Formats: sequence, C-alpha cells, structure tokens
Amino acid sequence: MVKVRVFATLRGIVGKSELEVQADTVGELLEKLYNEYPKMKKELEKGAVILVNGKNIEHLEKLNTKLKDGDVVSIFPPVGGG
Amino acid sequence: MFGYMGKILRVNLTTGEIKVEELKEEDAKEFIGGRGLATKLLLEEIDPKVDPFSPENKLIFATGPLTGTTAPTGGRYMVVTKSPLTGFIASSNSGGFFGPELKFAGYDFLIVEGKADHPVYISIKDEDVEIKDASHLWGKRVGETTDKLLEEFGDKKARVACIGPAGEKLVRFANIMNDKHRAAGRSGVGAVMGSKNLKAVVVRGTKQVELADKEKFMSVVKEKIKKIKENPITGGGLPQYGTAVLVNIINENGLYPTYNFQTGVFKYAYEQSGEALAAKYLVRNHPCFACPIGCGRVSYHPAVGITEGPEYESIWALGATCGINDLASIVIANHLCDEFGLDTISTGGTLAAAMELYEKGIIKQEELGDAPPLRFGNSEVLHYYIEKIALREGFGDKLAEGSYRLAESYGHPEYSMSVKKQELPAYDPRGAEGHGVTYATSNRGGCHVRGYMISPEILGVPVKLDPHDVSEEKAKWVKIFQDLTAVIDSSGLCLFTSFALGADDYAEMLNAATGFDYTTDEWLKAGERVWNIERIFNLKAGLVPEKDDTLPKRFLEEPMPEGPNKGHVVKLHEILPKYYKLRGWDEKGYPTEEKLKELGLDKYY
Repeated sequence: MVKVRVFATLRGIVGKSELEVQADTVGELLEKLYNEYPKMKKELEKGAVILVNGKNIEHLEKLNTKLKDGDVVSIFPPVGGG
Repeated sequence: MFGYMGKILRVNLTTGEIKVEELKEEDAKEFIGGRGLATKLLLEEIDPKVDPFSPENKLIFATGPLTGTTAPTGGRYMVVTKSPLTGFIASSNSGGFFGPELKFAGYDFLIVEGKADHPVYISIKDEDVEIKDASHLWGKRVGETTDKLLEEFGDKKARVACIGPAGEKLVRFANIMNDKHRAAGRSGVGAVMGSKNLKAVVVRGTKQVELADKEKFMSVVKEKIKKIKENPITGGGLPQYGTAVLVNIINENGLYPTYNFQTGVFKYAYEQSGEALAAKYLVRNHPCFACPIGCGRVSYHPAVGITEGPEYESIWALGATCGINDLASIVIANHLCDEFGLDTISTGGTLAAAMELYEKGIIKQEELGDAPPLRFGNSEVLHYYIEKIALREGFGDKLAEGSYRLAESYGHPEYSMSVKKQELPAYDPRGAEGHGVTYATSNRGGCHVRGYMISPEILGVPVKLDPHDVSEEKAKWVKIFQDLTAVIDSSGLCLFTSFALGADDYAEMLNAATGFDYTTDEWLKAGERVWNIERIFNLKAGLVPEKDDTLPKRFLEEPMPEGPNKGHVVKLHEILPKYYKLRGWDEKGYPTEEKLKELGLDKYY
C-alpha cells in the first residue's frame, strides 16, 4: 500500500488528509483516486504538484513513476505564496 | 505625467524645510518609479559610504505609476534607504493603503532628510504638510500610535506608517508598519526612521491618479483581474489559505528550514500550516488596496484579540527555524513583532542563530542571567526576547544587532544563516539551486522576493525546472525573475500577481497608465537597469562580489542530513559564473563598461 497525503483544497474533497491506496504507478494511483473522488480530477486539471517521497514526479518519470509499498505520495493543487 | 502625480515631497527634519519638486519624466521612463527610481535618487543624493544612522542618510517613501490605480494589487509602495543591517541598498515593500493615499495627496515620493532634534511626525493633507511634535508617542507600540495619530489628525480615512519601540531603539531589523499590520519589513528601514526621530507619517489625499488612456486602462485591468481570479493559485489557494499554504509543500519537498537550517524537514509542519491556521484562528481575509487576491489574514487568539497574519515567512521564522511547533505561540509572537515594529524573518533568524550558539555551548546561561534558556522549541523564549530585542534590554541588546553581528561577536559567523548580514527566509537552497543564486546575488541581502525561483523550481510556475539543475538555462531564469521582479516592484504592484500574469500583462497595464509606448522587452530592460543601479549603489557602498555574493558555509559544505534533498549541497561555484556572464558582468561580478553603456548607467559608475 502507498500512503497518500493530500493538501489545501483537496482535503475538502477527500474529507481527510491521508489515505492508503494500492497502485503500481502514479498514473494508476490517480485513476483510482479520480474514480473515488471525481471532483479531485477537476481540481488537479488546473495543475498539480505530485511528489513521491518528496521528489517531484516531473523530474522522475512523470505519471509512469513506479510506486512500491511504503512510498509516500504527496498531492498538491496549484499553490503559491512567499 | 500620466500614472504619476509628477511631484516629490521633500521634508528636511534638521532645518524644518518642506518643499515640492517636479518629478522628471525621463527618470520615470528609465527607472519606472518605486524601487527603481528611488534607488536612482538615493544614489545621486547620498554618498553610498555614509553611516546609515547619520542624518546624511535619506529615507524615501516611493510609489509606482500603478500605485493608487485600479490595477490589480495597485496598493504597493517601497521604502528605500541605506540599510543599517547590510550596509547596502535597502528597499522594503509594503501593501495596505498607505502608498495609494500618498499618491492621492499628490506625491509620488516622500524624501525625508536630516534628523529632528526631538520626536516628530509628518502630517500630510494634500498640499498642507507639517512637521509635528511626537514626544507623546515616543515609546508607544504600533497599534496605540496609529490610533492616537488618527484621532489627532481628525480624519479616520487618513493612513499611518509608523515605527514601534524597535525603530526608536535602532534595532537593525526594525520595520515600518502601515495600517497597523502591513510591514515595510526588511533591512532595518524602521531603524533609519528612528535615527531621524521620525515616529510616523500620516497622510490623507483627495486627488486621483490621471491615466493616459482611461478606457483602455479599464479594459486591460478588467482582463488582468479575470486572469488573476481564474488562476488556481491567485484565485484559489492564496485567498483560501493565505501565504501559509506553502508550509506543507515546502516541507514535503524537504526545504523547510528547521533548527536554524540544520535540516529541511520539520515533523510538526502540519500543525503550523495554512490549513491549520484557517481551521483554528482565521476570522476573515483582508485584502490590500485594489487587490482581487486577498491573501491577508485577520486572525483571533484570546491572548492578543483580533490581529493579522501570520504569513508563511513569519510562521516559519517564529516557528520551525526556532524549533517551535505551537501555532498559538507563533500567532502571539507575530502580533508582538507587529506591535514592537520588528521584522519577523530577522527576529526569528536571529533567535535561531542564538539558539544554535547556546546549544553548542558558545553562548552561556550566565550571560542570560534569569532569562529563559535559548533552547530550540522553547516558545517562552520567543515572547520574552521579542520585547527584550525591541527595547534593547539585557541580552536583547546583542540580539538587536542581528544574527551576523551576534554570531561574529562569538567568533562563529558561520552560525548566522544570512547573506550580506541579512537573515535568510524560509527556503533551504540545498533544495533549490536557482533560489540559492538569488539569495547570493540579492542586492538587499538574504531575501526571497528579489527573484522567487521557488516558483519554477518547486511550484512549477510558469515552467517546471529541476531544483538541482545548475545549467545556464537555470541561470537565465534567475536573471529573468530578478528583472521582472524589479519591474513589478517599481510599478507599485504585488509580486503575487506574477503567479497569474506574465511580462506582457505588466507592459500592457504600464503603457495604458503612463502613455509610454514601451515594448515588453523595453520594460524588462528597465527592470535590468534597476537591478544594475542597485548593484552600482552597493559597489560604491563597499560591496566586494567575491566575498559578498555567497551563501553561509552550511549550504556549501554540509550536505542536507535527511529528507528528499539528503546529501545535497549548493553548487554555487558552478552556476554563479554562468549568471555573471548572462548579466553582462565580468567573471568577478562587476558590471562591464559595455553593459553599463547599454543600460545608460555608465555615468553612475
């Protein structure tokens, strides 16, 4: 199982801050989440930052990034500040 | 002059002379306004080698051509002076309502000169400008000072920018507070104000900013507001959670500085995030003048009542870097900093350095007497020392000098996490190389708003750059961000607009307001001019690039101990030469004659 952490506006959609999902890749994980929480897809279509163990999938293998048991996936809608 | 009021108000506190001068159009065209034009004026009018606390230093309140207009976030102004913290150029930016009111009174700039022989404040009602006695306000905190001045002024619509006790006591990181909770926060501009015995500026105006093409301007502005509202950051995360929405993402990426930057992961970050702040303390949003974003927070805590903030930077500075997880303590500490007139970043950064020095046995408990031990995670320390720093009492007097001077006095400057003696903000550059270059080269010292490379390196806006890449491409983005930021700061807008808008958008608004027919590239060139004139000021003030364009040793020599950036150090030596080359500077970091001629700045250096 992969631990998934969601943040900011996603928490209102999911109703909690953490959940566990079985998936082999980030793409598969997102499909499972979108099936369960359709509003999440709409929210992330505007952009998203997805980290696997703190590393951005943009600099790994994007949606093909492999997942294994115990990995932590952090999902953020577009955020900014400073 | 469209977009500008065309006037500079000059007040000499030594002689009592008050005069109004014309703003030169060619200056506005070359340096835009605000940060850029004020730096040009300061360079012309003072010797950059001057003691920041001497009457020869000047304090410039500077608006831009979009300040006071309906342009989205058109409420910003700058305070420009020579910094007592860094010894280099200081230009601190603030929002709220003070900047627009200065323009409504008819002035683009207020230049304060000399030093009064007793505490005074400057009262501005359109053309009616007076220097008034402020002896009864000396020693008062920001909230009380603001309330009393508004009562004396007799017009509740007036706006106040003032210093607290910290500015009066020349704390090197004292700020200027306007509208009670908005801060021109960095580089000690409040201490310069205090050195002039100037407690406050109160302003009320009844004029309007004239625009070159009002219809076009309104139409362009409407379109930009739409872009901002539709953008998921400026229309979603920022209004909903404020700047503190960053806490979790920066921490999850492993660059949330903790225990004075000894690590980049704070296990209690969740408890001090924007999400937690919204759930526990948020009362409502509080937008600045003409702001469609509304990231400002009005908060409530029983210990302090209704207050504002804390912002991301303040939560971190008064939290993680001091090892403090308790959000309630942070809310209270932030309120105290506002009331005493202290920059939260430098306050937290200095306390964190002191904590590391204490825990390493370099600062001894005997020195602190009965004061609480300077241990990480001790929230009692926060509230106790904020007051002691502001009043320069006991050990607070040493802390009031800032982390660099404190650590250096013990023979360990390496524990000051600062650049050019200014404390660094809330991002560990071992997790964002480009951001490290902006720290090292920032003209006002350690700073995150002089080229916010976190945006492309961590947030993926407007492009997704690998945070550990040190290529020429990365250096190119650093330069673009620095120059564009200079344009935005000089225009009178908030940097947060740049999450939704690009260089073309700013050019359109500026042209419609001023009537200038600059291309986007020409506006960016003006930003580059601003960057270079700041560099010239600093070089004349004694900057040695080989020594000063650097980072604390920790980032260059100590690999990040844990988290996603484990094992990384900053490869500044690899990327800095690429940056210098792109800037048109020589290999040591000095602007070349050719570059200065191209920018029309050769006469200044």
